[in-house]
Amino acid sequence: MIDELASKVLDGSRVTADEALALYRRAPTHLLGRLADAIRARRHPDRIVTYIIDRNVNYTNVCVARCNFCAFYRPVGSSDGYVLGFEEIFRKIDETIAVGGGQLLLQGGHNPDLPIAWYEDLFRAVKARYPEFKLHALSPPEVLHISRMNRVAVPEVIARLVAAGLDSIPGGGAEILVDRVRKLLNCYGKATADQWLDVMREAHRAGLRSTATMMYGTVETDEERIEHLIRLRDLQDETGGFTAFITWSFQPDHTERGGVEATGVDYLRTLALARIVLDNFENLQASWVTQGGKVGQLSLAFGANDMGSVMIEENVVRAAGASYCMDEVEIVTNIEDAGFIPKRRNMHYEVLGDPIFRERDVPRMLALATARAEGDTSVPDELRQYLARSRAGKQLRLAQ
Amino acid sequence: MTALSIFDLLLERVTAGERLTADDIAQLAATPDILSIGMLADALRRQMHGTAVTYVRVASCSYDRSFADAVSPVAREVRVTGSPSTLADALSAVRSAKEVAGERSVSGFSWLDVLRLAAGEGSTAARVLAELRTAGLEALAEIPLDAVEDEAAVVEELHRAGFERLRLTIASAHASAHTARMLRAAALQDRLGGIQAIGPLPMVLDPMRPTTGYDDAKAVAIARLAAPNVATIQVDWQRYGPKLAQVALTFGADDLDNVTASDEAPDGRRRAPLEEVRRNIEAAGFSAAERDGRFNLISR
Ligand code: SF4
Repeated sequence: MIDELASKVLDGSRVTADEALALYRRAPTHLLGRLADAIRARRHPDRIVTYIIDRNVNYTNVCVARCNFCAFYRPVGSSDGYVLGFEEIFRKIDETIAVGGGQLLLQGGHNPDLPIAWYEDLFRAVKARYPEFKLHALSPPEVLHISRMNRVAVPEVIARLVAAGLDSIPGGGAEILVDRVRKLLNCYGKATADQWLDVMREAHRAGLRSTATMMYGTVETDEERIEHLIRLRDLQDETGGFTAFITWSFQPDHTERGGVEATGVDYLRTLALARIVLDNFENLQASWVTQGGKVGQLSLAFGANDMGSVMIEENVVRAAGASYCMDEVEIVTNIEDAGFIPKRRNMHYEVLGDPIFRERDVPRMLALATARAEGDTSVPDELRQYLARSRAGKQLRLAQ
Repeated sequence: MTALSIFDLLLERVTAGERLTADDIAQLAATPDILSIGMLADALRRQMHGTAVTYVRVASCSYDRSFADAVSPVAREVRVTGSPSTLADALSAVRSAKEVAGERSVSGFSWLDVLRLAAGEGSTAARVLAELRTAGLEALAEIPLDAVEDEAAVVEELHRAGFERLRLTIASAHASAHTARMLRAAALQDRLGGIQAIGPLPMVLDPMRPTTGYDDAKAVAIARLAAPNVATIQVDWQRYGPKLAQVALTFGADDLDNVTASDEAPDGRRRAPLEEVRRNIEAAGFSAAERDGRFNLISR
């Protein structure tokens, strides 16, 4: 049975949910890896493994969603809550450009005190100062949040943000796209499975590309993990708008949900399965941020063809206990050591060139930056111009 | 596709119980096809051990600290760490470790420590080994293949001094020489016997140039394939961490050394190490069995 399935996969046929389940449950780890690797090799015969230099900035940690797997958010009114100022964001962009980066991955909590105008003004200000710089920003639940808070329909939110400078959408907030799971994780309210997919559909229709993600290892069954993949595959058939898929394990530390993290072998099997099921996805990223550099590199044998981001800053999984760090030199070493050819890319997976540190001197970064220095509770000046909705937010404005 | 068929042939030979030649091993070591190497090593380890993975809970204590405080009752081996500067210090550490250990085995030191202590005393390695043995030391924690000149002489010396179940290790990484070292270990076992385990991953980690996942996985798999006459391929659980150690089990390792014996750790991640070890072993598709410091299974 497994042998038959294996040859079916090698022939390039699509697997059903049941077949995917059989493979995931019964195929030996190396066989899963081989199948995924064969698909990777077919799609990327040149042995190029890409990565991007960008910066993962979390513009606010204030969030009303309260997902129980999240260690990053602070409730409205918390003294640890922050919103980054435009100047702070510009500074982060300057630092990103200094190490050869050209994009921010900008995501944040669902902060009720940031109206759509704040986002539009921020995007415009970034584009005015850095016309070439890209904004890969706002996962579907954030788009929905903006839509709800401002009573503006999703397509219009997207159109307005694009007009202000949005370039593409990250695939965050997908978790597992099955409503039973979402209810248990308390993320059903922020976006149901259908809503998440609908935002992506709208974004793709508007001509934006996006990534897709999966966070596994909480309460989902194997079947639900596969359902998630199949739902992504279906939407990709429809729109073709996804550039890449990224999966990572739930990071339990300091979360309300707690528990233990799925193991490294679980990760490699899940990644390989994703490569097999998502036959219409060009790119799979390795999540070395959650798995560490070693298993991150081994991902390249289990279906991944991209090392993701040269991480300059990380706040979300760091809050939940993961703190792996690799700079460009290390990413490139890992790619070459595994027998692949490293190339820098942009968000559209277009190759930009060889490693930047071989072209010019860039500072090595051996520690990850954070959104804000510890204990910095400053409130950006420009916030005053935007109407707050929450009582705490209004008080903060008055105190300013 | 030709590459595939070469591996298929090798796989047939391995499953038929045939030992791969030095040339086979060298060829494997040269390919970036980590999955095929892993598959071969896994096939061999399954022939030798089925799905069993052993682990040992070790209480480690620096030679100059109090063993009474450091050794938990659940530890199955007591390991003296650090390098004492005099033989007297080494002996007193072994004695106090043995006192706390009782029936459990005491390990510690590297072969290089033995040489250093001998030089300091104006004595011989044989004398130092004999005294350590009498004080209660049952095993050297490290016999680094990459740092001894004549490994056959070392093994013979240890045999003469009454050390059994030797454990060969690697001090620091040098990937290109790895295959040759593993083949030498196998030859040593053929000639002299008495080698229980190989720990193929470096004991000293270089933070500026860490080994990669491919390096580690390949080092483990090559050790398994090159030395089918050595029972155990082990990975240090604390040094390498759950993720890499677990993956190593699918690349030919069958033993997790140095699992913490304490169930209290300051950091929440490492809570309940025993549970985490067993969970990792089982999630990789193996069955977990605890052993003692003498490689005997402990029935639960
Ligand atoms: S995961 Fe995102 S939406 Fe959920 S609580 Fe955390 S910041 Fe808020």
